[in-house]
Amino acid sequence: MSAKITQLSNGAEGVFIKNDRFNTTLVSFNFYVPLARETVAEYALLPFVMTTCSAAYPDFSALNFKLAKLYGANLSASAEKVGDYQLLKIAISTIDDRFALDEESLCDSAVQLLTQLIFEPKVENGAFCEVDVAREKRKAIEHIRGDLAQKRIYAKKRLIEEMYKGQPYGVAKCGTETQVEKITGESLYNAWKNLLSTAFLRVNVISRTMPGGLFDGISEKLGSITRENIVDCTMSTPTAAVSKPNTVIETMDIAQGKLCMGFSSELYGDDSETAALTVMCDIFGGGPYSRLFTNVREKYSLCYYCASSSVKAKGLITVDSGIEKENATKAEREILNQLDIMKQNLFTDEEFQSSIKSITDSFKSYNDSQGLLDAWYSLKIVKDKLLSPEEAADIISGVTRNDVVYAARGVKLHTVYKLLPKEKDGDK
Amino acid sequence: MKKQIFEGFADESYVKAELPSGLAIYIMEKPQYSSSYAIFGTKYGSIDTRFSKDGEEMITVPEGIAHYLEHKLFEGEDGDAFSKYAKTGASANAFTSFDRTCYLFSCSDNFYENLDILLNFVQSPYFTKENVEKEQGIIGQEIRMYDDNPGWRVMFNLLKGMFHTHPVRIDIAGTVESIAQIDADLLYKCYETFYNPANMFICLVGNIDTDKTLKQIEKSIIDRKPVEITRGEFDEPQTIVNPYMEQRLAVNTPMFCLGFKQKIATPYRRLKSKICVDLLLQIICGDASPLYARLMNEGLINDDFDSEYFNGNGYAAVIFEGESCDPERVANEIKAEINRLRVEGIDKKLFSAVKCGMYGDMVRRFNSVENLAMSLTECAMYDYGLFDEIKMVKSVSYDDVMKRFDVFCDENAVLSVIKPLED
Repeated sequence: MSAKITQLSNGAEGVFIKNDRFNTTLVSFNFYVPLARETVAEYALLPFVMTTCSAAYPDFSALNFKLAKLYGANLSASAEKVGDYQLLKIAISTIDDRFALDEESLCDSAVQLLTQLIFEPKVENGAFCEVDVAREKRKAIEHIRGDLAQKRIYAKKRLIEEMYKGQPYGVAKCGTETQVEKITGESLYNAWKNLLSTAFLRVNVISRTMPGGLFDGISEKLGSITRENIVDCTMSTPTAAVSKPNTVIETMDIAQGKLCMGFSSELYGDDSETAALTVMCDIFGGGPYSRLFTNVREKYSLCYYCASSSVKAKGLITVDSGIEKENATKAEREILNQLDIMKQNLFTDEEFQSSIKSITDSFKSYNDSQGLLDAWYSLKIVKDKLLSPEEAADIISGVTRNDVVYAARGVKLHTVYKLLPKEKDGDK
Repeated sequence: MKKQIFEGFADESYVKAELPSGLAIYIMEKPQYSSSYAIFGTKYGSIDTRFSKDGEEMITVPEGIAHYLEHKLFEGEDGDAFSKYAKTGASANAFTSFDRTCYLFSCSDNFYENLDILLNFVQSPYFTKENVEKEQGIIGQEIRMYDDNPGWRVMFNLLKGMFHTHPVRIDIAGTVESIAQIDADLLYKCYETFYNPANMFICLVGNIDTDKTLKQIEKSIIDRKPVEITRGEFDEPQTIVNPYMEQRLAVNTPMFCLGFKQKIATPYRRLKSKICVDLLLQIICGDASPLYARLMNEGLINDDFDSEYFNGNGYAAVIFEGESCDPERVANEIKAEINRLRVEGIDKKLFSAVKCGMYGDMVRRFNSVENLAMSLTECAMYDYGLFDEIKMVKSVSYDDVMKRFDVFCDENAVLSVIKPLED
């Protein structure tokens, strides 16, 4: 099931993924801009303001009422990091017209609503409405502050901050509290104008039929905007190896410690350039057959979770685990020991085969989920061909043991971050 | 084998079969899908701490034992189930909730091989002194992880504030102390009682062949004599324990759960009742409601705000949850709005909109093999039909929903709050 790509404008493309399985149609607008300290907060706030009001629906209650009447159409907003770029997503999903109880035209209404939200926001005197901006700023700050409540996420975020100090990838994906505080209706309006004129845009449509006139309509809207200096989002810089790994230890009033380790990889880039890294990372700490699960968790009972993941565009591998304070050093040593086993080609054939099977099995199931397909086609920023999940699975199937060992040998420890429980009275 | 075909929405259908042993099997073919989802479950969860088998003496087992058993069942005499699934590429997992334990896998290839693995390991307990002791460290860390999770703590503190004796008030995984009492004998005792086919169900959805699958299950299920399970009565008073629960943890913004414990005369809620309460919650505080707009505009809630009808064997409550700088004010605003709507009636336009929204959500559910398999477990647990909900939501009336204000009783309200640590 491959995607059909239509050029909509300079630096804008429409991707139609035809899929007959679903009862719904999903349309997502994906804007890509560089991650930069100066602009990150405004850009991250934009999708949230734009999905709570528009010129046609000036308050969120009216908008939410309309969404309910569209049989619970799902309108969503997000701001994520994709390598050194920020991905701003606004999406709508609605049930297909054939399920409407009164023969309404749901898909057209939903698409019209989405394009209105993006191209016709609620603007007063060259600024977004201060009331809307203040409300979304408050929520954004609470969201940023909320990271502390989720210790696993918090610890991983701190690791990334430490690894990429002063670099685009080290910028927090929604900015800092101070950056959000400074946003005004006017600055947000300017960010919106910049977004429409300079961001690379990809519009994903996942449906059994292409909504009539959608891509033409977007082309027309974009045609009325001066599109220039379009962002090239294929230029993420790889993670540089360090000669001496850095260790950062912090304490907090918590029951369980967190151990996060960041590694640089010599392999980085798109799916075809990093297939061996994907398999290596999976054997190392992916599924329950992985070295970290079977050893750090099962053999030594050191933790409930110990897993690795990769950010291919950055050549980054991370490992995170929840541990008792007194086991932190032992767990760290064992994680490095398991990486050495990968480098020395001492992992088993069974582990290698399990990993290939698990990754390809999982890629094949992407076509059964609109959400996964949308994520797949928005997280792939490539210079060449946009691969489908099946094509990526074929590349994974071609990875050899030697490729995996080569990938592992390019992986070097960069930073260790430990979040440990504070010592209580009576502790040693 | 008894077999029945159910149809009732679009071109969707499924088969319900029952083996002579009492095992219920639900199969929904989705031939256009690449993947399949399988669940083998038992009606046994964390609340089943007191029981007797075949009229024997009632016994009390340590808190967290159902979850412990779930972990240990993966380990067989001939190796662990994960390493068997690793050979096929399936993604496998399990979970224990208040009232059930489910073992599941999803896969694109090798469905029948994976089903064999699932059927075999769930029917082959292998508990030894050594392997039971080994799990203490891993589950101990899982419990510690939840100790630091304010979203989990605020909920269980609420349940402790609402329920005097009902075991829904205890953590699903138990405590480090309670799991220390678990041994192989106790695990076998629980297994033999609750993992009997008559108390179990299998739900399968995806690119599968019903007849071939049924034959495979029939062949693999060990024929065991049905057991008679008597669950301990909960003897839960209608009152609450404490109207306010508070804990301090490392958070920046306070978190809250406001619960209204429902006074109930029978252990289970009916499907129609559940749908009506869900609709009522959308009308009271859903994102198109006046209350939601007011709380949001006054800076009292954010997008984490949510509500649910929480119910199961012997317990029922409506719960509102979220983050707020002023949880007590949010609680008072919710109570005032409920009392206003109870007297003034609900907005008819909003009633019609939220009904549309709920119907759409149900249509959407048919997109996902995972959601369908999970919905079929609800059918198995409560003996519903998969299409009953979608039919019922279309027919629910304004008056049906108005009647459900009876779930709210101010004297049975409990507010649970997690506050930031003091300097």
